[in-house]
Order: sequence, then C-alpha cells, then structure tokens
Amino acid sequence: MKSSIGLRLAMLLAVFGILASGLTGYYSYSSSRAMLLAAAERDLLTATRVLSRNMLVSLGAIGKDAKLLAVLPRTTKILMGPNSATAEDDTKVVATVFKAMLSTHPEYFQIRLISADMHGLELVRVDRDENVLTRVLAGDLQEKAHYPYVFESLRLKRGEIHLSKIAINHEVGAHSGLNKPTLRIASPVIADDGKPLGLIVINIDLDSLFALLKADLPAVYKLYLTNELGDFLIHPDPREAFGFERGRRTLVQDAFEPVSAVIEGKHETIVMNIDAARKQQNRLIAAFVRLPLGDTAAKRSVIIGLSQPLENIVLEATRLGRYILHVVLVFSGLALILAAMVSRAVTRPLNEMVKAIKNFSKEKVISKLPLGRNDEIGLLAHSFHDMQMEIMTHLSELKESRLILEHTAKHDPLTGLPNRTLFYDRLQQAIIQAKRDKTSLALMLIDLDEFKPINDTLGHHIGDLLLKEAANRMCDCVRESDTVARLGGDEFVVLLPLIDGQRDAMMVAEKIRLAIKQSFNIENQYLITSASIGIAVYPEHGCDETQLSVSADNAMYLAKRGGRNRVHLCQN
Amino acid sequence: MGRQFLSGQAHDFLFINHALASTPRNVLFESLNASAPLETAPYPDHRLFAHAIRHFIHRLITALIVFIILCAPVHAVETLRVLAWPGYADGDLAKEFEKRHNVHVEVSIVGSDEALQRKIGANQGGDFDVFAVNTAELQHYIDDNLVVPLQLSNIPNTLNQLPRFRNLHGIPGITRQNKVFAIPYTYSEMGLIYDRKQFDAAPTSLAVMWDARYQGRVLAFDTSSHNFSIASLLLGGSPFHIDEKEFGKAVEKLIALRRNVLTFYTLPEESVELFREHSVAVLFANYGRQQFKQLRDAGADVGYVIPSEGALAWLDCWAVSRGAKNQRLAENWINYMLDTSVSRELTLRQGLSNTIEPDPLANNADKIIWLEPVEDSKRRTVLWSRIISGDLPEKLLLP
Repeated sequence: MKSSIGLRLAMLLAVFGILASGLTGYYSYSSSRAMLLAAAERDLLTATRVLSRNMLVSLGAIGKDAKLLAVLPRTTKILMGPNSATAEDDTKVVATVFKAMLSTHPEYFQIRLISADMHGLELVRVDRDENVLTRVLAGDLQEKAHYPYVFESLRLKRGEIHLSKIAINHEVGAHSGLNKPTLRIASPVIADDGKPLGLIVINIDLDSLFALLKADLPAVYKLYLTNELGDFLIHPDPREAFGFERGRRTLVQDAFEPVSAVIEGKHETIVMNIDAARKQQNRLIAAFVRLPLGDTAAKRSVIIGLSQPLENIVLEATRLGRYILHVVLVFSGLALILAAMVSRAVTRPLNEMVKAIKNFSKEKVISKLPLGRNDEIGLLAHSFHDMQMEIMTHLSELKESRLILEHTAKHDPLTGLPNRTLFYDRLQQAIIQAKRDKTSLALMLIDLDEFKPINDTLGHHIGDLLLKEAANRMCDCVRESDTVARLGGDEFVVLLPLIDGQRDAMMVAEKIRLAIKQSFNIENQYLITSASIGIAVYPEHGCDETQLSVSADNAMYLAKRGGRNRVHLCQN
Repeated sequence: MGRQFLSGQAHDFLFINHALASTPRNVLFESLNASAPLETAPYPDHRLFAHAIRHFIHRLITALIVFIILCAPVHAVETLRVLAWPGYADGDLAKEFEKRHNVHVEVSIVGSDEALQRKIGANQGGDFDVFAVNTAELQHYIDDNLVVPLQLSNIPNTLNQLPRFRNLHGIPGITRQNKVFAIPYTYSEMGLIYDRKQFDAAPTSLAVMWDARYQGRVLAFDTSSHNFSIASLLLGGSPFHIDEKEFGKAVEKLIALRRNVLTFYTLPEESVELFREHSVAVLFANYGRQQFKQLRDAGADVGYVIPSEGALAWLDCWAVSRGAKNQRLAENWINYMLDTSVSRELTLRQGLSNTIEPDPLANNADKIIWLEPVEDSKRRTVLWSRIISGDLPEKLLLP
C-alpha cells in the first residue's frame, strides 16, 4: 500500500514528464524539418525561376543574333540573286560572319541562310564539326523546305523570331549536332515588298546551352526540361529523355504527377515534395516552371525543372532530430529522477506519520511528527498531534480516577487504612509466604473500649476524629511492613508478618495498648479510651486466615471479658 | 512505328487494367514497405502522421485479407503464360478465361518487337506458352523454330473470322509448308485521310501525295520502310522487295514526295496540329483509323480511304511457342481471344480492328497489303535519312 501510492505517483509524474519532453521534442523536430523543407523548396523554386529567366535571356540574345544576320544587306542580296556574278563573294562574306558568330558562341553548332525558293535550298551554311568550323559547299547543301522551322519562319514578319520544337537533330550533314537535342532559332529575311525571301537559322546544342545556364547552380541540383506536352527533353538519366523518338514516351507527369497542373495550364510554377508521392527511392523535392517561348500565338512552351535529393535537406533535420532526441532523453531522465524525488518528498512524511500512528496505537508513545511543515501534510501532522495529546490527557484522567476507585475499594475512607477486603488479601498472602518460609506471623484484633458512648454523647464527628487519631497511633507502633486495617466501627486489625515469636507480637500489642491509653485531644476535649487486643499467631493458633481470625477474635473477646484495656494472647 | 504509337496509347489504358488485376500482390508488397517511412522519416505534421498510420493499418488489414484469399486456392492449378502487347489481354478478360478453364493465367506485357524477340528467344520459348506477334516478325520465329504449327480444329472460332482472315494462305507469312503457325487477331491499315472541303471526290490513289496541285498541303510520315514501299507500289513494283536497279527510281520518287509535302510528321498529335494550321489536303495515315478518329474529334472535316494500290497494314497474330507446356490450352486461349465478345472489347477499348466483326467503314474489296520483311531495311533507313535531310538528287543518286 505504502509503496503503491509512491510508485503510482512516481509513474504518473515520470510518464507526464517523458510525454511532455517527448512531444515537445517531436513537434520542434517536425516543425523545424518542415521549415527546412519549405526553405529548400523556396530556394529551389527561386533557382528554377532564375534558370528559366536566364534561358529566356539567352534565347533572346540568340534571337537578336538571328535578326542581325537576317537584316544584313548581303543576305538579302544573296537571296535576291543566288546566281548573280557577285553571289560567290557575298556568300563568302556571309559565311565569314557566320563563322565569327559560331566561334564566339560554343553552344551554336550551325548557322544557315536558307532560300524560300528552290525547295528551301541552303545557300550559306557553316557547321561546327568537332570544333572545326566548316563551310558546306554547294553540292552538299540540302533542301529544307519540308522542315517546320523553314515553313513556319517564312510565315513571320520581318524582325520576328521562330523557336522550333526541341528535337533530336537527325539532319544528316557534317556537323557535331547530329543526333543531339537541338533548338533551332530562325528569323525570316523579308524583301522590301514584304515577300519572304528566305531565313537565317541558328542551331543550338541544347546540352551546351544548359551546361552554361546550369554552371552556377549547386551540383546536387538536377535539371529537367520538357516540351509543352511533358515529354522529357533533358533528364538526369539520358535514357529518359526523348522517349518519343524511340516510340516510348516518357512524361514528366508520370514521374512528377503534380506537374500535370502546369501542363494543363492551371499553374505557371509548381514545387513539390516527392516524399508525398510515396516514392521510397530517390525521394526529392522538385520545382517546375513553365516558360512560354516566342510570341503567345505560337503557344510553344517548355517546362524547366530542378530537383534536389531530399536526403541533403533532411540530413540537417535528421541531425537536429538526433540532438533533440538527446535532449528529450536527458529530460526524460531528469523527469524520472524528479518523479522519484517528488514521490519520496510526499511519501516520506506520510510514512513518518504512519509510523507515528502505529507507535502511538501500539505503545502510546508520541513519536516525532513533521510539524514544521506549512502544507497540508503539516496540517495533517498538527491535527494528528493535537489528537494524540487529547487522547493522552483523557487517558491519564481515566487512570487517575481508576486509581482513586481502586483505593476507595480497598481502604477505609475515614482513616485511610486498608479495609477488610485489602487486609484479608494481605493476610492470605502473608500466610502463604509464612507457610513457604516456615516463619511466624501474628494477627491482632483491636477493639476500642467504651467508644460507643463517646460517639453517642459527643457526636459522630468527634467519634470519627478519635478513630482517626487512634489509627494514627496504631500505625506509629508498627513496622512499615506491618499492616494496620480498620474492619469497621471501632474494630481494627493488625498483621505482623515475619515475627520471631509470640513475644514480638505481645510487645507490639502492649505498645499499641499504651498508645491508645494516652488521652486524645480532639477539638480541645480530652478523651480517654483504651484498647482490648486479641492476638493469634501463625502457625500456633491457626493455619489459615479463618482459624487465625477466629483465634484472634476469641482472644480479643477474652481480653474484653478480662476487664478491657488489656492484651490477650490466644491460649490454644 | 505505327505499332509503337498504338502500344504507347494502349499502354496507359492497359496499365489501369493491369493495375487492377495485380492489385492484391501490389498491396501486399506496398504494405510491407509502408512501415519504412514511419521509421525513417516522421511526417511533417501529425495529421499526415495520423493519416499514415490509418493508411498503414488499412493496408495491413487489406493485405492480410488478400493474403488469406491468395493462399486459399489450390496451388496445383495449371498456369497459362501469355506474352501480349498492351491491351491485348486485359486482366478482366484473362480472369474470365481462368474461370472457364479452371487455370491460372499469367499475362506479361511486351512493348517492342525487340523485347518480344528477347523474351521468346530467351529459353527456346520455354518461358511462355502463347504470344502475340505481327506477320512480318513471325518469319524470324518460324525460321528459328520457336513456334509450333497449330491444330485449327482446336480453334473453332476461326470459322467466325472475316473471309479475309479465314483464307490463311492468302496472308503472307502465316503458313509455311501447309502448316499454320499463327492466327490473325487484330490489324491496322494505313490509308489516306483527306480534307473533304478540298476534294470534290475522294482521292483514290497514293499518287495524290505527289500531285503538284496540293504542293505544301500534303503530310507524309517520317519512316523509311513504309515510304519506300509506297514509292515502289506506285512505280508498279513489289512494296517489300525493291530490285537493285529500281532503288534509284524509288529514291527519285521520294525526293519528289519531299518536294511536294508540307512536312513529314511523327506523332499523330503532330499531324492533327499541322492539319489544322496549314490547311493540309491529304495525309498518309500511318496510325490508320485511330488517327482518322482523332482528326475528326479535333473538328476536321475529313474522309478516310484505302487507296487503289492497296494499304499497308500490320497484322498481329497469336502463335504458340515451342516451349508451350500444354498446346491444347494455348489453342484454347487463341480460340477465346476470337470470341466475338472478347474481340469486340479489343475494338471498343483500343480502337483496333478485330478479325470477327466487319469494320462499318471498311470495304471488303479494299486492298490490304500485310506487312512483310523488306529486302534490306538498313539500306532503306540510310537512304531515307539522307532524303529527309534534304540531300540533292545529284548527290543522292551518285553511285
């Protein structure tokens, strides 16, 4: 019982303490993790936005290059008269310009001037072939009118830019762009009458372009690029890109389901946590931004995405979590200790009190109580202490009255001498003692002579005082071990244990007779009385208290008969 | 190429069915994994956490129930191993066969001719009982002795097939030495789609693609094999066997095509977009009736014709592998696939023509040319890449 309340209290406190610290730890962990994630997502989205802005800027710059080449007077001249006398010179000049531009832009791999006539025959073409810039000569030039970048660009007005779809370049020819992801940027060459004469096309190596754009980003960021339908064009795993080229489409919305909202045009940007997509492997956060290309009428856009492994971000959170776990453990330990201490602090005074109560009820001993406390326990202790004191008081009163009762029952109220009951009790004891020790004892019966007339004439009051005084004198005549008792009226009795012989008894009796014979001064009246004393001695005059009493009584009777004021020893 | 698109399209569809069919096992595995996130990464908020726990318990219970159900059936049931293209053997259809024959059907999906060759070739055909393959590809399997002749009496549903498919000797590649190695199941032909506003009467010949009146309004498909086949057809030759001395003419013909077309498309969506934006008059429908439907759904007023020269068509058949454990059961499967209800489902779900019910748009007299292996596909590919890149005739025709 004692241990159970302490244990339960300790357990309650410990559980509460551990729970409190555990929950606090858990919430601080999860909220900081969420904060870290949110910050990382924000950063990633910002990086993606910056990347797409940079891409727009780059594309704008490339477009300006295309426009610049398109408005060169010589390009128009070549297109107006491809077979004229100066055509070859003009072509050379334009080719030199193309080469200059290619040499300053490593991401360009081809610049061409294409005619609107002759089935889109290339008129000037410079290819980058393994870092060598090569001008393609007449016989190797190709007809391109059936390519969308040609017929789409020829529909444009002067100064407008066409951005092709991004595709793998399958156009056979001497250039390093073969079978690489390519973006073609074209601008039409328009005659003064508004008739399209041809176009300038700059072919961009998408990988080089993005290598440049991505150069400033952390290496852990992975780049994605998709077309407006979600087909991957750039993917960290090159096998996932351009799936449609191999008859198997790989779509961003399959890998990153939320991006479908961007593809459907519901959002321009999206950032997601693939944790939520329940992918155990490659958990990452990713941000995607839609980037409209060209004028809005073309409806062409790409989606740029960046991803970052979640592990990098949660690493921080995990470290924090581990630290929090330590703190939680320490606090849980503290909670345990505290719980034990509190439990002890509460149960110790209780235990003390229990002990005190037990002591008190068993042995009526007042033990130490925790009275110094000001709390409920102190109050309880005080109450208990008061109760103890009150019980003790009652008990002592009870004892006292019982003692008085006991005394009254065994003593004569007038003289204070033992009464008949007590006397016979002592007599019995003395006889038993004498029997065992083979010693003698004497029983003396004393009767005051002529007491009745005194009592009758002078009143009970004087009689009583006389009896008192006589008792005192008798007591003075005996040893301390002897017993003087009043049997009633004027009859007294004396027990003399351990006497050597009848003579001893006679001497004491004679002493008493003489003491009584002395006059009594009672309230200034001199009164005279005497005593008739009968003595019986054990074992001579009786072996038990009855025989001894009878013997003593007879002796006393004989003393009365013999003229009073005398001592008579039993003669039997 | 056409097939691959269809596969791609069908794949999404099939994936749903496949997922349904295999849900029990997935649930079982996923639920076993589901405990991982709880241990490794606490959820960002307790709502999610509670959700995850609820979800986990829910899955656990489902997995247990499913596990008990899965464990219940007798293990000794015979298994039929089917290798099919997406959409050919959906889970519910396979289930029905299981019920009818008291067997277990295991459907594996294949996405390309190469994958099919790999899977069947892997163990001398011992890994599968029955598989779907097109007539052109079938030749390799017959050559390599990976397929076995079929007992037509075991496949009574062949009697319900359209006349064109009952005459097995009329379909090149299906029979050899009077033995039947495959039964046609589905096909798609490549006709012409035309803009009805630009034509008073439907074009009848493939030559319309070369017609200068429609210059810049013709859409052709970016493919080496079929384009050479068409060119050869128009030149009066065999589509799949161009003589050495005829190649030059075919190349010239294709250069002429290049100069007449708007462009060569690849994806059907692309053809729809080009059709709309460039007032295309006629296009070569590599994706057949599916593409026609797609254009019509996009609001184009178009017609579909099988040219008089004939339309190239791929034809997928069911064949029984050399390693089949129970040929009779495999033949039962083929027979089941030819049930009117099952074949109709293929048409309803995948938009592919079946061999039982006549297509309301098709004419029995239409000339269909089933694809066959070509004389030298590598040569056609190399030449085609140069043609489409725009090489001049002088350069291309150099010896």
